[in-house]
Amino acid sequence: MTRDIHIIIAEPAAIIFEGLSAIFFRSGLKPRVSKADMLDEILQLHLRRLADIVIISPLLIQNNVKSYHVLKNQLENTQWIGLVYAYYDPSLLALFDAVITISDAPELIVTTVSKMLNSVNPKEPDVLSDREIEVLKLLASGLANKEIADKLNISINTVITHRKNISQKTGIKSVSGLTIYAVVKKMISLENLAD
Amino acid sequence: MYQTENLHLTSDMKISDVILNNPYLILLLEHFGIDVPLQDKSVNDVCLENKINTELFLTFANLYNGVQYNFKNTFTYLEVLTVVNYLKNSHKYYSEEIYPNILSIIQQMNSVNNMKEMALVEKFFNEYFSEVIEHLNYENNTVFPYILGLYERIINQDKAVGGKQYSVSEYQEHHNDIEEKLNDLKNLLVKYLPMKNDQPIRRKLLFSLFELEYDLNIHSRIENLILIPLVAKMELHLKQKK
Repeated sequence: MTRDIHIIIAEPAAIIFEGLSAIFFRSGLKPRVSKADMLDEILQLHLRRLADIVIISPLLIQNNVKSYHVLKNQLENTQWIGLVYAYYDPSLLALFDAVITISDAPELIVTTVSKMLNSVNPKEPDVLSDREIEVLKLLASGLANKEIADKLNISINTVITHRKNISQKTGIKSVSGLTIYAVVKKMISLENLAD
Repeated sequence: MYQTENLHLTSDMKISDVILNNPYLILLLEHFGIDVPLQDKSVNDVCLENKINTELFLTFANLYNGVQYNFKNTFTYLEVLTVVNYLKNSHKYYSEEIYPNILSIIQQMNSVNNMKEMALVEKFFNEYFSEVIEHLNYENNTVFPYILGLYERIINQDKAVGGKQYSVSEYQEHHNDIEEKLNDLKNLLVKYLPMKNDQPIRRKLLFSLFELEYDLNIHSRIENLILIPLVAKMELHLKQKK
């Protein structure tokens, strides 16, 4: 459960843009996809929502290698994938972090993109921090947010943030569900439960 | 637009093909009170036979198939009886069939996997079940009669202010929790609860939970996308008449 993925597809042809969008949607990646027709538009789209990946036709940079380098430096944490459907000079293709080819199977395209994504956001393991475990224990013993805040000497907003993270990591939202989780994980024993 | 591999339904399709493509639609038919076998009838035939607006049927059916684009809610008060009836039938399926069914599977699982965590799960589900029943009763006893009252007043061109003050907007708040706890249970079963001789029964339980979730999800979309706007229109209509 990480934040939404944003992919910019810099490719003027609608049919290719739609095709790639459909492949991503069906893959389960379900990214937000934006379309850029020209190099200049990429920065604007990125500023509106940080781009994880730009998939770009080498055509757009062929005669603009300089502006491409400038752009690549501006988008620090973005990976660039070349979308190749004709012969290009290998030195041009070497400018990309990865390359997909128009004849690639959808699965391969998805794998290439996923690999790039993992190099951008290495997945955090869903392990609760010590503080989160503390909050969870108190929650399971029947305390309200306010009481937990007082007990741990933190603000109520911090408690709420911890709870959000706990739910995101465990996939469980309700207090009673989290209580069962805490028992299974032996964080609390049955005797300590409320009622 | 890429939500689904399922069919986008149209009125000339054979309804049996539609069901064979996505068996969850069997529940849709039941909630509409449509019986099988369906022979070679088209969607349109079946709707005519059962006096259901074909557009309404297609909208619901396409929701079941995960298709929701170009959604326009142009339905009028004339459809409100069908919608309420549909929702009442699905309440009956929840309260008399699927929830009791799930409870009994949990009890079976508890007797096989008699670890202390399972007792907590049974307690969790019992509490959840009573919350659901309370919610369904609220809709059956408060919301639906209110809506049917509005309908009567429109039909009878009744300008008098009827009954107690209530508005459909109050009711919008109510659902989310129901789906949330269902999701918690699925997570517990798939990720955390230790297994002990319970594999087939746990699978049965999960399948039932997914079946319920699928239907509940469409149910709340029907309420939010179709029923609530429809009732808001009826409220406005009556207000303007005064």
